[in-house]
Amino acid sequence: MLQADGQMKTARDIAIATLLGAEEWGIATAALIVEGCIMMRKCHMNTCPVGVATQDPELRKRFTGNADHVVNFFRLITQELREIMAELGFRTVSEMVGQVDYLETRDDITHWKYKNVDLGPVLYKEPTSMYTGLYNMETQDHGLDNILDWKLLEAAKPALEQGEHVKAEFPIRNTDRTTGTLLSNEISKKFKALGLPNDTLHFKFTGTAGQSFGAFNARGITLELEGDANDYFGKGLSGARLIAYPPKESIFVPEENIIIGNTSFYGATEGEAYIRGKAGERFCVRNSGAKVVVEGVGDHGCEYMTGGLAVVLGGTGRNFAAGMSGGIAYVYDVKGQFDANCNKEMVDLEVLTDEDLVVLRGMLTNHYEYTKSNVARFVLDDLENQARNFVKVFPRDYRKALELNKSKVAVKK
Amino acid sequence: MGKPTGFLEFSRELPTKRPVQERLHDYKEFIEKYTPHKLNQQAARCMDCGVPFCHSGCPLGNVIPEFNDAVYRQSWKEAYDILNSTNNFPEFTGRICPAPCESACVLGINQPAITIEEIEKHIIEIAFEKGFVKPVKPNVRTGKKVAIVGSGPAGLAAAAQLNSAGHSVTVFERDDAPGGLLRYGIPDFKLEKWVIDRRIALMEEEGIVFTSNSEVGVDVSVNDLLRQFHAILLTGGSTIPRDLLVPGRELKGIHFAMDFLKQQNKRVSGRWDKSSDPILATDKNVVVIGGGDTGSDCVGTSNRQGAKSVTQFELLPKPPENRTQMMPWPTYPMVLKISSSHEEGVERQWAVATKEFLGDGNGNLRALRIIELEWKMGEGSRAHFSEIAGSEKEIPCERALLAMGFLHPEHTGLIGDLAVELDDRGNVRASEKSYQTNIQKIFTAGDMRRGQSLVVWAISEGRECARKVDEFLMGYSLLETRDDNLIAI
Repeated sequence: MLQADGQMKTARDIAIATLLGAEEWGIATAALIVEGCIMMRKCHMNTCPVGVATQDPELRKRFTGNADHVVNFFRLITQELREIMAELGFRTVSEMVGQVDYLETRDDITHWKYKNVDLGPVLYKEPTSMYTGLYNMETQDHGLDNILDWKLLEAAKPALEQGEHVKAEFPIRNTDRTTGTLLSNEISKKFKALGLPNDTLHFKFTGTAGQSFGAFNARGITLELEGDANDYFGKGLSGARLIAYPPKESIFVPEENIIIGNTSFYGATEGEAYIRGKAGERFCVRNSGAKVVVEGVGDHGCEYMTGGLAVVLGGTGRNFAAGMSGGIAYVYDVKGQFDANCNKEMVDLEVLTDEDLVVLRGMLTNHYEYTKSNVARFVLDDLENQARNFVKVFPRDYRKALELNKSKVAVKK
Repeated sequence: MGKPTGFLEFSRELPTKRPVQERLHDYKEFIEKYTPHKLNQQAARCMDCGVPFCHSGCPLGNVIPEFNDAVYRQSWKEAYDILNSTNNFPEFTGRICPAPCESACVLGINQPAITIEEIEKHIIEIAFEKGFVKPVKPNVRTGKKVAIVGSGPAGLAAAAQLNSAGHSVTVFERDDAPGGLLRYGIPDFKLEKWVIDRRIALMEEEGIVFTSNSEVGVDVSVNDLLRQFHAILLTGGSTIPRDLLVPGRELKGIHFAMDFLKQQNKRVSGRWDKSSDPILATDKNVVVIGGGDTGSDCVGTSNRQGAKSVTQFELLPKPPENRTQMMPWPTYPMVLKISSSHEEGVERQWAVATKEFLGDGNGNLRALRIIELEWKMGEGSRAHFSEIAGSEKEIPCERALLAMGFLHPEHTGLIGDLAVELDDRGNVRASEKSYQTNIQKIFTAGDMRRGQSLVVWAISEGRECARKVDEFLMGYSLLETRDDNLIAI
């Protein structure tokens, strides 16, 4: 199913999109304008003067939109589309999809910028055969019936039904994607946001995990991976614990090698993870609550982070903390290169306080317990000393928010 | 923009006016200045819209959100530079413009609009105070000579622009001082004349030559103009007033509004020739026939002259108080306007027509016979009226002022001698794209081309026409234009 959108306002736009191959059409701006949007372009300031892009009750008072108008708008578009279809000789939309030969290029364009544009490649009509049509004729088989998670779900039955602890082991390959997500869905259906008690389910995997390993995994799940993983490791983590370390027989130095992919913990909200090795780029991007330990990251680490904790026991790439408005990072900066690699637009770099050390010790202890990391051992044994090598990355907005919270709590007392 | 939340925190406030009783005793302007605090607050209300409708509301294309923001930040030179880039005479528009920008203001959708005109006035007056306004002398003179006939806002704007492009401009004005209707039309209490003198002095320093008491077609022959100048601009205005040719029109005491207003302006500036017949409203029952801005000026002037009573009649029905479906935002709303002159005392009546002027037996006007009208919408949404039988009345009146609009420029003299083509409305024919008449080197702009209109339109026309003249003389132009057509699809 091809969905097209982009400034669609009339049935003519939809007809053209359909003739070019679309079967679903997205209309957003036009529908907003029907409800009163005047394209002020101040949506991000929360000062929408016509009460559309806001929840502020004062501004909402100015809202003049009407659901009936929106319904009418779409009704009129479909009516007009029928008229166009009739003109063109189509009885159904399916007949219309992809029929680019019903489109003609204008021959009266004189503007120098557009005169020489050749629309030929756009208007090329793919020849159809017995086996493929121009429009959506069969549902796509995503192969969901055979994924690894069904096995996990089977193994997890005692936990879901009686709350018993479950431990199991499975091999994993890179075609096994979103491991644990389907299982987490079942957990959240039954236990909502609370999930199961920590560590109720403990699954160990051996091999290379596919993309989005542990995506959106709920509390109560612990996934242990001996091997390595692809991108989006821990995406949207929602309370689970993830552990990753290289195979026991491997001879490379873990803290110098990348074992999980890029954009790990993308938008994670809760949970913990311990990575015995380095991560790729955009580590913890948009993390808002997960606590993660890793032994080195690529570029743009902790990008747009808004909460949670990242402990980086090794080097970072450039542009660390870009857009980081919340959360904290502790970076183990033995070589003293971190300052040059950090984007300080929104963060301050500081020395660890005593409270920080307590938190760090806790994370490192866990990291050693789950992955037997040599780095963690080394730092733990010499923490008093090694504390000097750590840099605390503290976003200014976060500092303000924490202080505001503190003063509110103080007032309450 | 000012403050993002400014429009939520501050409401629209206009500066205070001198009380009615006080201001009726003189012809001075009566609108006070904002305090710096208030000015800042009013500028803060601007929302800096992503799609600023005020730009297109303003005939000049003033870059309004930007200068509002500069005022909010008290960056006065910046505000002046932004304003000056589109408007040659903000000191005129800031006082008398009906502000179509405010009608198009996005905030005006559900709240009172930003006080753009007052902010504009303050920017230019502060700029004059601080000495930012300096004469613009071109570095190189092109050697081309341009004659501009008529020194109203259109002629003045064109003169300023063409001079800045390096041409040598001579402005011909038939009256005794330049300014056109700005000087001899708009009453002093709306626009004091030192404001015009201040600007003319600047323009003279820039190298523009003004010759007054030179009527082209009478004192100066058109042939001299054609021979001595490389291009000629006709900006003589649209001065022929509409007349009311009903029985009794020849009675004494019936005057065109312009004659009345011009005379008062001359009196105030000490230039009135006492030997000519005075048209005064003192101790008379005055009826102003015509409900527009000219009529309103007559009301204000009559009250200041000590009229016994002032009544204003309008042919059309009373306009609605608020916008209707026919005049949605952002168009200019034809709603009921209560001007400062109306505040000073007048009785207004709508949907009346004057049937006859009644005399006192000695050839003087004694009363008007009026009748009430009923307006109906006809086919093709054209409204028409019919007289309501039996509604005739006699209104005592010794001074009737005809303020019923202007038809077209004078056809004899300048226009007749040059033999330029006229359009169906009697204005000099020239398209909005070229401003050129049928005679190649003759251009026209302002009321003379478009019929009676606003000062802000005249300034816009003068600017655009100047650019066309510059192109005609040089082959290209670097003068500003409002619609920069880089992408013409």
